[in-house]
Amino acid sequence: MSLAHFFAWLEHSWLGASVRSLGVWSYGVINLVHILGIILLFGSILILDLRLLGAWRQIPLATLSQPTTRMAQIGFVLAVASGIPMLSVKTTDYIGNPFLLIKFPAIALALLNVWLVHRTVAWQAHRERDLQPVEQRRLAQGAVLSLTFWLTAITSGRMIGYW
Amino acid sequence: MTWILRTGLAAAFALAAAPVFAHHGWSGQEEKVSDMTGTVVQGVSLAGPHATMKIKVKDEVWDVTLAPPARTARSGLKEGLIPIGDTVTVRGNRSTEPGRHEMKTIYVRHGKDEFHVYPDRE
Repeated sequence: MSLAHFFAWLEHSWLGASVRSLGVWSYGVINLVHILGIILLFGSILILDLRLLGAWRQIPLATLSQPTTRMAQIGFVLAVASGIPMLSVKTTDYIGNPFLLIKFPAIALALLNVWLVHRTVAWQAHRERDLQPVEQRRLAQGAVLSLTFWLTAITSGRMIGYW
Repeated sequence: MTWILRTGLAAAFALAAAPVFAHHGWSGQEEKVSDMTGTVVQGVSLAGPHATMKIKVKDEVWDVTLAPPARTARSGLKEGLIPIGDTVTVRGNRSTEPGRHEMKTIYVRHGKDEFHVYPDRE
C-alpha cells in the first residue's frame, strides 16, 4: 500500500468521518490538545536533556529523570492521540507535503534514540549510583541527538500547514 | 558550556519561530484579487484548519480555500447550503505556484446569496 493509498484510506475511515462531523470548533480543540501534548513532551525532554548536558548539576539526575520521562510519555500519548484525528480530517491534502516526510522519520529516529539511551549501562545505573565521566558523556550524546530529532520533528510539524 | 547551550538554544528557537510570522500574510498567493465562476464539484466542508470547497472552472478543478470553519460559518456559509452542480462565483487570491489550482477565497456568491468570508480583504 502506497502512502497516497494509506492517506485516502485514513481520510475515508470511520475516524475521519467522525472528526469532520464534530462541528466548527473541533479542529481547533484537537489542535489545542496536540499543542498541550507537545508542550509536555518537549518541555520535559528539554529539562532532562539540558541536565544530561551539564546544566543544574546540583540536582541529582535520578531526581529529574523520573518526573521528566513520565511527563514526556504522557505528552507523547496526547500528541499521538490528537495528531491522528487531525491528520484524518483531510489526509489527502498532505500528499506531497515535504514537511510530513521529514516529521515522521524524525519522530522514528527520536524514539529509536530513546530506546537506545534507555538500554545503556549509564541510564540503567543512574538511579543506583553516580555515573563515571565516560557514562555521562554517553548520555550527553543521547541528549544532543534527542534535542536534534525532537526539534526537527516539531519544526517540520509546524511547517506542514505553511506548505 | 552553559553559555554556549543557552545561546545555541535561543538561536534554534528563534529560527523555528520566524516563519510563523508569515502565517496571515497570504504568501504564495497573487497580490491581485480576481473572480472565477464555476460549478461546485465538492460542497463546502467546515472541517479542518480551513473550510474548503471544490469548483470546476472550464476543465480545471479548483480548490477553494475559505476561512477557518467557525469564521466561514459566521459569514452564513454552511455545509449543504450550496448543492453540488450549482454555479458559484468566488473572489480571492490565486496561488502563484504553476499548476496549483487553489484560491484563498474572500467572497462567495451563489445566486442571490453572498458570503463575505473575509470582508476586511475585499
